[in-house]
Amino acid sequence: MNVKLLRFVLQFSLLLLIVLVLPLVVGSLWVKVATSTIIFALAASGLSVLYAQLGLVNLCQIALVGIGGWIALRLNYATELPPTFILALAGIATSLISALLALPALRIRGLYLALLTLMAAGAFQILFTAYQFPNGGDGFWGVAPQSAIAARRPLFALTDEAYLSFTAIVVALGFVLVAYHRATLPGRAWAMIKQSEASAMAAGINVVLFKLWAFALSGFLAGIAGGLLAGELGQLDARSFIAGDGILLFALAVVGGVYSWVGAVIAGLLFKFLPALFNDFGVSTDLTMIVFGAALLHAIMTAPRGIAGQLIDTINSMGVRHD
Amino acid sequence: MIDIQNVTVKFGGVVAVDDLTLKITDDVVGLIGPNGAGKTTLINAFSGFVKIHSGSIAINGLNLFELAPHQRARWGIARSFQKVQIIQDLTVEDHLAAVLDSKITGRTPREKAIRRALDFVGLSAFRHSLGAGLNPYLRRMTEIAKCLVGAPRIILLDEPCGGLSEAEASHLSNVIRSIHPEFGAQILMIDHDVELIRDVCKSTAVMDFGKLIAFGATETVLQDEVVKAAYLGR
Repeated sequence: MNVKLLRFVLQFSLLLLIVLVLPLVVGSLWVKVATSTIIFALAASGLSVLYAQLGLVNLCQIALVGIGGWIALRLNYATELPPTFILALAGIATSLISALLALPALRIRGLYLALLTLMAAGAFQILFTAYQFPNGGDGFWGVAPQSAIAARRPLFALTDEAYLSFTAIVVALGFVLVAYHRATLPGRAWAMIKQSEASAMAAGINVVLFKLWAFALSGFLAGIAGGLLAGELGQLDARSFIAGDGILLFALAVVGGVYSWVGAVIAGLLFKFLPALFNDFGVSTDLTMIVFGAALLHAIMTAPRGIAGQLIDTINSMGVRHD
Repeated sequence: MIDIQNVTVKFGGVVAVDDLTLKITDDVVGLIGPNGAGKTTLINAFSGFVKIHSGSIAINGLNLFELAPHQRARWGIARSFQKVQIIQDLTVEDHLAAVLDSKITGRTPREKAIRRALDFVGLSAFRHSLGAGLNPYLRRMTEIAKCLVGAPRIILLDEPCGGLSEAEASHLSNVIRSIHPEFGAQILMIDHDVELIRDVCKSTAVMDFGKLIAFGATETVLQDEVVKAAYLGR
């Protein structure tokens, strides 16, 4: 069988499985876990863009998810705009904030960039803790002492099952957006910049613009993820957006594999599904950290393209055998 | 015409290019000199990769320092590097497309430009090959093809024949010689291969310790006693 066709069929089947079958067969708890999993897979795909295409480490993706969530909640309570429109606005606003944050990061990379993004994540953690997330209160911050009003969801996705399907479609569109970027003009420009900034400039590529573009795309995906999370949970808690989780999500994106969307899904599974599974088994969720550590060692030592890279290689070798 | 006026480039206390003045009108011009003479620094100054301490460089009357490095490339300064800059997971076509992205938008003119450059350097058969699968010669030719797409006005070649076999270098020198008649671009070429310079360049500039020590018709320059002493080891 043709390798590309096989890959497409596999990818499409997986999407169908998530959109149609998953909500029907899993219990209500697992519907929520599955929704969170793919939401964080979208956030991880943003990290992957920066790391795979430009070699840039971003440790504040979770903070950007929080920002997207904050904006979505604020607009959700303050306006009557449709939730899907709010979701898009949250993505766009977060992408602008991400690009703005990237401005000082344009001249640095490696460890120093990682530290800078970690400090930004720490600053946002403090802001989230100090001001909390909007919950229907008054004023700019919109925080009421007690509120039970959950954020509105799209009318066609009011139940958790329908919301999972809606999330899966949005996340799949996000993956398509990333794949399109990788295969076209920005992908070529990023590849040149990663190879050598001098060589990119000599080819007429505006290095500053395309680096900002990558941060903006990564931020857009984080913002959408935040907006989806706000809709899923109804309300958000500052404790969900601690700086340390930014490091964890980055590590898991590397473990999953940064060169394809499959890696982002694996990162999402490890980040949200595995702890829920451990919990279900009655095992301490802290044990996931040991699994993550072992998985990271595995990725660094034997799988530079992550678990996804290994999976894709296996599928490709199957395809070759069938040719 | 390339007009270099009193250009000085300093790296801390080291003067890499020292008050260099040069007017270049010929189509293909060589730039030679011993290692560390400042040749690459000079063409890095063209590209905008190093800061000029004083002086100016103008091409056809345009002062280069008014433009950012990527704008210079878009204006028409193309260049190759000593260390070939080929990306492992991009195809030969994508390397050229990346250069065209900032210059030509329409699908048909892009296709035409890519095909013309690939045919010219003899890479048509490798159009869809990934960078990782190219041998050093094909990589070098891809770099030359990158310089040719998008209507270059000046092409700066930094040791294009470095590391190539005699036969490969001979083919490359034929290609370089045909660039001006075919594409109309003026070429400034650095190389250590004196035979190549003699073969391809009408005139040649010689640098040593950042200074211009000779400039003129290639044959005359190569016979110059000062040049022989500085460069050819006599």
